[in-house]
Amino acid sequence: MKRLNLPQERTFTGPALIWKRVAAFFIDILVLNLTVLFPFRKFFQNLIPKGSSFSETYNYLRSSTNFTTYATVISFVMSILIIMYFFMLEKRMGQTIGKMLMKIYVVSDNEVTKPWQFLVRDLAFLPIFPFVLLWAADPLFMFFTKSNQRLTEILSKTKVVELYSLEPKAYNII
Amino acid sequence: MMNKAPEQNFKWGYAVFVLLLLAILGFIAVGMTSLFVGVDVESLSGNVALISINGIILATEDSTSIFSDVSPSQDIVELIEKAGKNSNIKAIILEINSPGGSAVASQEIADAVAKANKTTVAWIREVGASGAYWVASASDHIVANRASITGSIGVIASYLEFPGLLEEYNVSYRRLVSGEYKDIGSPFKEMTKEEKELFQQDLDSIRDYFVSEVAENRHLSKKDVDKVANGLFYLGAQAKELGLVDQLGGKDDVIKYIEKKDGIKAEIVEYKKEKSLLEVLSKVLSKQSFSVGQGIGNSLFGRKEVLTMKITT
Repeated sequence: MKRLNLPQERTFTGPALIWKRVAAFFIDILVLNLTVLFPFRKFFQNLIPKGSSFSETYNYLRSSTNFTTYATVISFVMSILIIMYFFMLEKRMGQTIGKMLMKIYVVSDNEVTKPWQFLVRDLAFLPIFPFVLLWAADPLFMFFTKSNQRLTEILSKTKVVELYSLEPKAYNII
Repeated sequence: MMNKAPEQNFKWGYAVFVLLLLAILGFIAVGMTSLFVGVDVESLSGNVALISINGIILATEDSTSIFSDVSPSQDIVELIEKAGKNSNIKAIILEINSPGGSAVASQEIADAVAKANKTTVAWIREVGASGAYWVASASDHIVANRASITGSIGVIASYLEFPGLLEEYNVSYRRLVSGEYKDIGSPFKEMTKEEKELFQQDLDSIRDYFVSEVAENRHLSKKDVDKVANGLFYLGAQAKELGLVDQLGGKDDVIKYIEKKDGIKAEIVEYKKEKSLLEVLSKVLSKQSFSVGQGIGNSLFGRKEVLTMKITT
């Protein structure tokens, strides 16, 4: 039997769309919030006074020297856990839960991926100077780079991609 | 430049494992942090701060005070100032159960109470005597139980003197001092008449200051306070008659007073200095080290702890 010589479906990767990246990030933060960060949330709820206005809370926290120490320690621990989440999943599977749901992937520019690349990607989570500067600078880079890369992605030689496919054209038989 | 298509190898099992692992680490981290850092438990949920003054009033906490009831003035002053800075706190209750202590520490707390820009109420429970009464007198209102022990305005610096005992054991005190009064108050020698007079002068002037402070705080004449400042303690009912206490009652009466004075619905929040595990451990260790050092010192020099004189109110 003679087979039709139809064009094959072709796939290739390209920079992930920004909205997909943002959505994936929020999904990851939601997942982290419900699981890993749950004990911290409960803890902060006990620490931060309830039923008070913003200014009252602000003044109270400013006057509480213990709170500052405590909040610093806790936020550092939280950031380490967040970094571990991204590192452990992206290093092994190239995807976090959010990225999997949005069908986007982390890939390396190098042939062989190194652990440091995945650590550098997450430096912006560290709540200490000078990494805090990355909170604003890091995502802003996405809008100005060709591959929608964050600053830490450029530094770590990684990027987030998605699969694009070229559908074969339909042949009309008249 | 296009990358090659990534392998699709997402495994839910691994993702769940990572989340579980991190959640466990999170729980451990929160537990450890609260254990080691120590947290003040006060919050904005209340509008009346309750600060307890229990046991002997000291200037600072020493290594021997972890397992005994002491109130370091350093901590109490810090709590009073913290409550003072909190705009939600409208009044401060000092729950007193103390026989007094260091004159300096008592005055430090009394000063902090007087400076607090809130309504301050002293609630004397079992005992609020001597230095603790000094603290109470600085508050706006004093409430005591009918059977509470209060008053005892006076200064004490008594100590044991045992040169006779040493003599009996054929031990002599070799006096080596540079400065005539350097060993004043040493238990190994008999105090001279002159030394006793010097000491008495100091004690009298501290007492005089104590009386003046109480008189000023309680809006009484110094003469009247002087009459009752003989070191005698008074029961709450007697103290009320003498004007040393404003009201007989308990916690409910304290709350009623605050609610009436400040026009608020009182919600009490306890202000206390939480000790972290690290602080407790370091104190225990320093006590251990102190004891070891003391033992080595004693065995090397055959010297026992010198009983020094302390001035307490």
